[in-house]
Amino acid sequence: MQYLRQAWTIAAKDLRSELRTKEALNASLSFALVILLLFSFAFDPTAEMTREISGGLLWLVFAFAGALLLNRSFARELENDCLDVLVTSPVPASALFLGKTLANWVLLLGIEMVCLPVFGVFYNVDWARQPLWLALVLLLATWGITVIGTMFSALTVNLRLRELMLPMLVYPMLIPCLMAAMQLTTALVAGQAPAGDQLAWLRMLVGFDIIFTALSVALVETVLIG
Amino acid sequence: MREKILYGLGAIAALLLARNIWVMLTGLPDEAFQGAIFRIIFFHVPAAFTCFLCFFVSLIASISYLKTGRMQWDSLAVSATEVGLAFGAANLISGMIWARIIWGIWWTWDWRLTSMLVCWLLYAGYLVLRRAVEEPAQRARLSAVLSILSFTVVPFVFFSIKWFRTQHPQPVLYGEGRMEAGYRAMLYGNWLPLLLIAVILVAVRMQQEKRLRELDALRREAHAF
Amino acid sequence: MGDAAARNFQYLAYGLIAVWAILAVYVLTLVSRERRIEREIEGLKRMVEDREGK
Repeated sequence: MQYLRQAWTIAAKDLRSELRTKEALNASLSFALVILLLFSFAFDPTAEMTREISGGLLWLVFAFAGALLLNRSFARELENDCLDVLVTSPVPASALFLGKTLANWVLLLGIEMVCLPVFGVFYNVDWARQPLWLALVLLLATWGITVIGTMFSALTVNLRLRELMLPMLVYPMLIPCLMAAMQLTTALVAGQAPAGDQLAWLRMLVGFDIIFTALSVALVETVLIG
Repeated sequence: MREKILYGLGAIAALLLARNIWVMLTGLPDEAFQGAIFRIIFFHVPAAFTCFLCFFVSLIASISYLKTGRMQWDSLAVSATEVGLAFGAANLISGMIWARIIWGIWWTWDWRLTSMLVCWLLYAGYLVLRRAVEEPAQRARLSAVLSILSFTVVPFVFFSIKWFRTQHPQPVLYGEGRMEAGYRAMLYGNWLPLLLIAVILVAVRMQQEKRLRELDALRREAHAF
Repeated sequence: MGDAAARNFQYLAYGLIAVWAILAVYVLTLVSRERRIEREIEGLKRMVEDREGK
């Protein structure tokens, strides 16, 4: 109970400071919209084409936007040695990690909520034909992105070339999660409820989330404290 | 003494390889559909096994480092990862050359091929991460965590041909598509020299890590005045 | 000759060469790193000795 409250306190702190300064949020959101726009030049956005690649397009945008957001997650605490304070506070490292993941998760979901209608308008897609399934996929895959991303954000926070190392390490790790999310989203945007192979992808997404959440919670203490 | 053992192992590996290649070319008949090219499998599969074994050793060494904090474990982890990457590259390239003949293409985005490439990239990222960290203890700690996280894909690569329908051939060592005993013996027989070579390379690389630590200490001494 | 071509001996040879070339390249990087380490250790040792001599 105490543990959850600590995680929640960290998450609330991160969310509050992000919503007040909007430093990462603004950059990440505008970057996402620019990429969404750029994709319309990469291929001819006909109805057929858009239906085929909608999942891939959306999740690439979310993954790019996520990397910008996650870069700041721990780097923000470097100023005034806030990270040292957090680490020495009575909050366990894993609660700190979970709190930060939760905050990033909420922020990235917010960005997705803005991007989806824009995607629908720009590419003339009725994307909400399976709203509940789509919400489930968004929640699960975004958790996957943020859990891995926050872990690597902690791992790379003290490095030179931090901004470069994070995407380089995160994207290969995310491939299973992104692949599942892309397949599922493409089908859902086209209006098909998951069945057969799609359910296997969903199971893979759940498995990915569980495995990496468990591993990260177990390992984050060594990363932050040593 | 140590060097003599390594030279001895190297000689054994070379002899075994020479014998294997001789038997492979003269003693074993061609596979019915593939012709001579199928013999690549005797290097392709053992290279993959060696690669995975190296990554597994790296995982164990990383866990041991986090438990004990001894730098030897870190040396073992990085050495095994590097050698594993070399064998992984050999596996990928030999597979591509085989695919060029049998499938007519160099590469296809099949489960097995993709996951192996992802695995290779992850461990390459491990080496890049090591270069970005200066302080030895921190480097060892962070890269150990990354090694543990990266290992999650290895079972996935290994079992992907069982779990999914792939263009990559099905398992050849067990199950229905099992190869004939002579071929299987050759496959395992050729794994042995590759494994010996891997052991030698890891040993040499670990020695280097030790020298690097000496170098680090000397540097500190030299600049301490 | 036609038989050898049909059996794809050529690509088998490419495959084996590729495998060993990769390992050879790795060994070469090991050797070059070894040289670099030796050189740096030599240089540093000399530097430390010089300073102690003074």
